[in-house]
Amino acid sequence: MIRNEKTDVASRLKANEGSFRDPTNRVYEIKLDTTNSGKSRIFRGLNEKELAKYTELSNEPFFQKLVNTGRVVKTEVVDATDEDAKSILLDGWYGVLEHEAIPFVTYPYEWTFSMLKDAALLQLHLIEKSLENGWTLKDASPYNVQWVGSQPVFIDVPSFEPWIEGMPWVGYRQFCSMFLTPLMLRAHLGIDHIPLLRSYIDGIPPVEASKYFTGLNRLKKGVLSHIIFPAKVENSITKRERDNAPVQQRKVRKFSKSMVIGLVQSLDRLIRKLTIKIEHTDWSQYDKTHSYQEPDFEAKMAFVLKHSSSSQSGHIWDIGCNTGTFSKISSEFCNQLISIDGDHNAVEKLYLSEKKNKNNNILPLVMNLSNLSPNQGWAGSERQAFDRRNKPNLILCLALIHHIRISSNIPNRMFLKWLHSLNSNVILEFVNREDEMVIKLLTNKKEQYEDYNLNEFIYEVGQFFEIKDRESLKGGKREIFFLTPK
Amino acid sequence: MNNRDKEQHRIPLIFKLYLILILFTPSMAYAYVDPGTGSVIVTSVLGFIAAIGYTFRKYFYKLKRKIFGNKTEDD
Repeated sequence: MIRNEKTDVASRLKANEGSFRDPTNRVYEIKLDTTNSGKSRIFRGLNEKELAKYTELSNEPFFQKLVNTGRVVKTEVVDATDEDAKSILLDGWYGVLEHEAIPFVTYPYEWTFSMLKDAALLQLHLIEKSLENGWTLKDASPYNVQWVGSQPVFIDVPSFEPWIEGMPWVGYRQFCSMFLTPLMLRAHLGIDHIPLLRSYIDGIPPVEASKYFTGLNRLKKGVLSHIIFPAKVENSITKRERDNAPVQQRKVRKFSKSMVIGLVQSLDRLIRKLTIKIEHTDWSQYDKTHSYQEPDFEAKMAFVLKHSSSSQSGHIWDIGCNTGTFSKISSEFCNQLISIDGDHNAVEKLYLSEKKNKNNNILPLVMNLSNLSPNQGWAGSERQAFDRRNKPNLILCLALIHHIRISSNIPNRMFLKWLHSLNSNVILEFVNREDEMVIKLLTNKKEQYEDYNLNEFIYEVGQFFEIKDRESLKGGKREIFFLTPK
Repeated sequence: MNNRDKEQHRIPLIFKLYLILILFTPSMAYAYVDPGTGSVIVTSVLGFIAAIGYTFRKYFYKLKRKIFGNKTEDD
């Protein structure tokens, strides 16, 4: 069985802390170097039965097609002579698979509505293709979907298993609570799915979801079938079984393939019809309403271009990205660009435009910088905090700091200290007091943030970073810096 | 004398603890209700309805192709 993770390759080998629920396999990561965005190898230790199953699956044409089209992560059986694989075999596994590493791990509570929708459609597509070929998937969790640029990729290969005639679709409840319900809450009621998914780590159960749908809302697409009906069934079972200590044996029901495929296809049709309207928010019209005149905008773009192209950037973060105007400029010069903003609709706009390019490398995420994704799950380590994952080589922090200081009340020094902890170069745009955006923020505020000014900022920056380049913009109202960590 | 008094006082305390345990037992039983049972019932009902639609669609398109032929074949 699994011993302690320390082996001869102990310093580089790490068992993935989110991969422990399935006793038949476990994911490991081996870092090839410790620099920011340093490469890793991702392995999966398998028991004998799992390896045999994988060997059979990998010979199936439908599975090969899914891998070749990038729907399922590239996977290979690793030879026992591979040095890194040996350490995993020593941990008690029978065989080892290697997966292509996902550049940056994300979780469903960081995705936009359409990202969750596309991940759900991918899950259903995999189930349908599998069923057509005598296989199925035993899970239905968005944690099994990751992103390469703006394309969803399924990573949990052991989820595939042979279809046994008469088997029910065991993943249905999980699919509903983790994919369908949050999408329906958003599409039908306008409820933000992100705080719900962050808190309900196993998804929103039907009994809970049914409390949101009252009155005529119950008649909206899919609600009666997939929320109200399951909630009523669960309530009646709970009432019956609560006081009878021995749980009654489930009656065995036979399921035909057409029942499962029929249900999967009906869910696919339902999800395709779920949409949201992107209302104009402060940021979703950024490309039309930013406060720059054309020449200054060109100057800002040129500065960003100059320093993005010269940095050896495997991995760039654009924090406070709005609709991704500057992400798109910088994405040419790196392997992966993560665009983050707290405004859902702005990020949704970016995702919808980026997903059309199959080979793009921008991954848009919704996240409030003053409330980063925390450590979650069992022992607070199943799902990693945002700043504990792969670190970037370059961070774009454009026209953000005035919001951090004035709207979120976070002192500049604390923000810079956090930025510095990421050990990355930074392109930072400081928005001065004279700028109309700051004036707008300070209007009607009792606190006037007297310490928020350019000189004070330069002093604070100097505690953590070297200023390698700087330029004035908008006639001195803004100052853009290129910083390297001290 | 003292020891016997103490023993007589001990028993009622255990009795009180037992009462408290009983009060909390109903909510503990929720943790033992298997969500899978409900799921099987729901998927068999929804699946049954969906299977009708699926089978109908399958034969409808087969029939359509037989009557009108595949577009590519006609060209």
